[in-house]
Amino acid sequence: MQRRSFLRGLGLITAASAVITPTMVMGAEAPAGPNALSIDDAIKAITGGKSVVASPKVHLKAPEIAENGAVVPVTVEIDSPMTDADHVKAIHIFATKNSNVRCADVMLTPMNGKAMFSSRVKLGSSQEVMALVETSTGEFLSASQNVKVTIGGCG
Amino acid sequence: MDISRRDFMQIAAALGLVTVSNGFAQTVSGKSPANISLKDLYDFDAKGKLTLLHMCDIHAHIKPLYWREPSTLISAPNLVGTPGFLCGESFAKHYGLEPSSLDAYFDTHMDFETLAKKFGKMGGIAHMKTLIDEIKRERGDENVLFLDSGDTWQGTGVALKTAGEAIVKAQNYLGVDVMVGHWEFTYGKERVQELIGMLDAKFISQNIVGDDPFEDEYEELIFEPYTIEERGDAKIGIIGQSFPFTSTANPKEFTEGWSFGLRLDTLQEYVDELRKEHKVDCVVVLSHDGFSVDQEVARKVHGIDFILSGHTHDPSPKPITIDGTVIVIAGSHGKYIGRLDIDIKDHKVKDYEYKLIPIASNIIPADPEGVKLVDELYAPFDKELNEVLGKTKGTLYKRDTFFSTFDQLINDAIMDEMKCDLSFTPGYRWGTTVLAGDDILMDNVYEMCGITYPNVYTFELKGDRIAQLLEDIADNVFNANPLYQQGGDMSRLGGVTYDITVSAKAGERITALKIGGKAIDLKKTYIVSSWGGNLQNAGENLQEEKTRAVYDVTRDYIRRKKVVDVSNKGNVRLLDYDCGCPVKGSTSC
Repeated sequence: MQRRSFLRGLGLITAASAVITPTMVMGAEAPAGPNALSIDDAIKAITGGKSVVASPKVHLKAPEIAENGAVVPVTVEIDSPMTDADHVKAIHIFATKNSNVRCADVMLTPMNGKAMFSSRVKLGSSQEVMALVETSTGEFLSASQNVKVTIGGCG
Repeated sequence: MDISRRDFMQIAAALGLVTVSNGFAQTVSGKSPANISLKDLYDFDAKGKLTLLHMCDIHAHIKPLYWREPSTLISAPNLVGTPGFLCGESFAKHYGLEPSSLDAYFDTHMDFETLAKKFGKMGGIAHMKTLIDEIKRERGDENVLFLDSGDTWQGTGVALKTAGEAIVKAQNYLGVDVMVGHWEFTYGKERVQELIGMLDAKFISQNIVGDDPFEDEYEELIFEPYTIEERGDAKIGIIGQSFPFTSTANPKEFTEGWSFGLRLDTLQEYVDELRKEHKVDCVVVLSHDGFSVDQEVARKVHGIDFILSGHTHDPSPKPITIDGTVIVIAGSHGKYIGRLDIDIKDHKVKDYEYKLIPIASNIIPADPEGVKLVDELYAPFDKELNEVLGKTKGTLYKRDTFFSTFDQLINDAIMDEMKCDLSFTPGYRWGTTVLAGDDILMDNVYEMCGITYPNVYTFELKGDRIAQLLEDIADNVFNANPLYQQGGDMSRLGGVTYDITVSAKAGERITALKIGGKAIDLKKTYIVSSWGGNLQNAGENLQEEKTRAVYDVTRDYIRRKKVVDVSNKGNVRLLDYDCGCPVKGSTSC
C-alpha cells in the first residue's frame, strides 16, 4: 500500500513538472516557437552546442512495442551518487519524431537523493525516445530506445 | 552456483555428452512408415527422476485434425535458417528427417496429401491422454509435471460456443498443472477469471500488471508470477510469461486496465528470487513469447534452466541452448507432446533429455474416457458443426508467410459479399487443413475464424494509408530484431498483388502494389473490408449495415459455390529469396 501511495504521489509530481517545463528550460535563448523546434535544435537549446555522449549510466526504460501510443510509460534512471560534487542536474525526455519533440524537463538537486524520473509520453508514430541528462560537472549524457507504435494485428 | 552448472552444460555439449546436443535428436525418423509402432513413439532414453510434459498452442483442438506445416517461412536475412524460421527441406536438413517418414509428415508440408492418407489425423485429447498416462506409469505420477504454454482455449467452434469452458474441461481431463495465456484473454477479463475458477491448473504470469491508476490493482500483479512445485524429489520454480503483445495484437477492450510487455527486468528479479530465497533446484520459464523472442530472452536474462516456449507454433525436434538456457517448443494444434526428463543432483540440473512426440492418432490408441468426453462436449453443437457446406477441389491450408488457400477462400467470400476493392484477413498461425476432394464442414470454418470479435468491417481508406499499413505489418513480421516482432505472418490480401523485398529498410519493402490489377493510386479512396484486426479504426465511413461475422460470410459463400476451387498461386512476389524455406546464410534452398 505504501508503495502505491508513493507512486501516486510521484505521478502528481510528474504532471506538475510536465506543465511547468517550457519556462523552466528554455530561458533566455528560447526562440519564439519552442514547440516547433527540430530535435537537433531542441537538444542544442539545452546543451548550448556541447557534445552529448551516449552513456550506459543512463537507464532508459520504455516498451519495445507500445500498448497504446497515447500513453507510453517511460522511466529514466541514472547511476549517480547525487552528492553536491557529483549529481544529475536535469533529465530531459524527447520523442524524436513527434511534431513537438520535447516531452518533459525535470530539474534535480542532491536533495532528490536519487536520479530517477518516470512518466508517460504520447508518441505519434514509431520512433526513438531519447533521455538527455545534464550532470553537475557539465556533461551531457544520453540513452535512446526505439518504440514501435502500431495499429496492431495478430499472430 | 548456476555458473558451474552452465559450465558443465557447455563442456558436456562440447564433448557430445548431452544426447540432444550431439546432432542426433531422438526421433522416429529412421523407420519406414509401415514399421513405426507405438513403441517407437514411447521409446525414450530416460534421465533422472523428473519429467516435464509440455504442450503449446493446441488452439482448442480436442479432436484429431489434419495440419499442414508451412511451405513458406520467410524472415529478415539475419534470422534465415535459424530455429523458428525453418520449414520444408531446410527443416528436414536441419533436423535430419527421413523423407516420407512420420516425422516428415508431422513437421513439414512435404508430400503432405499422400502422407495424410498414410498416417491419418494428428492430435486429439483422447490420444494425448494415452501417451501421458503411459509416461506417468513409467515415471510415477509424483515425478511428472504437465505445463501448458497457452493458446489453449480458443480456435474451434466448440471453444467459441462454450466461451472456453469445453477446453478447460479438456485440460482438467488431461491433467494440466500450470498454464499461461494469450488468446485466452479474448474472452474478456471477467470470463478469464471465471474459467480460471473452473481450471484445476494454476494460471501464472509475471508480465501482466494493472495500469489503471484508479483501480486497486494499479501497478500490482494480476496473477501469481510464479509457482514452486515439488516433483521427482526436486523443487522446481516455474515463472509464467503470457503473450507480451496481447493488448496490441488483439482488441484492447478485452484487457482494459491490464498492461502486458516482456518485462525482462522483473523476470530477472523472479529468477534471482527463486534461486536465492526459495533455493529451487531448477528454474523454468513457461512462456508464450514466441520461439525467436525466447532466444533473445535467454541472451538477456540469466539463470534460467529451461524455457518452455509457445506462440509461434514451431515444432522443434531438438532443443536449442543459448547462454546455458535450454529452449523447447512443441508445435501447435495438439500435434505433439514434448517430454523433457531432467536429472537433478545436488540442487542443480546435471543432464536432460528431450523428445517431441508426435500424437499420431492411428498409432496411439484413444483413451475411451477422452472419446466420451469429446462426444459429450460436442453433442450440443453437432448439428451445426457437422453441416457439410461444400467440397474443395484442392487442399485448403493455413500458415505460410504471405498466402494460403483457406485464407484466400475467406477473402474470396468477403469480396463476393461486401463488394469491396480489397480485403484483409489476418495472418494468424492457427486454423485447419482440409484435404483435396474432402467435404468442408462448418466446424472447419470455425477452426479458421472462430474468434470472439468476428465482425467483417467495410470502410474507406486512402491509397497512401493502405500502403503505409502494409509496410507497418511487414515490419512487425520481418523486423531483424525478434523483440520487435509480434509473431504472426503477413496479413492475407484479397484483390491485391505486390512485390516484397524482405531485407529492404522498414517502410521500403513493398513495391508494385496493385489493387484490382491497377497500380495503387495513393490519393484515391478505396473500399476495404477487414476482420480480426484493428484496421477499421484507421478507416472512415464504416458501412455498418454490411457488418457481419466472418464465419457466417464464409459459410454462406461455400454453400452458394457448393464446390470451391482456390488456386494455390499466391498474390505476392518475393524478390530477395528464391524459395519459401531458405537455408542459413543463403537466399535459396
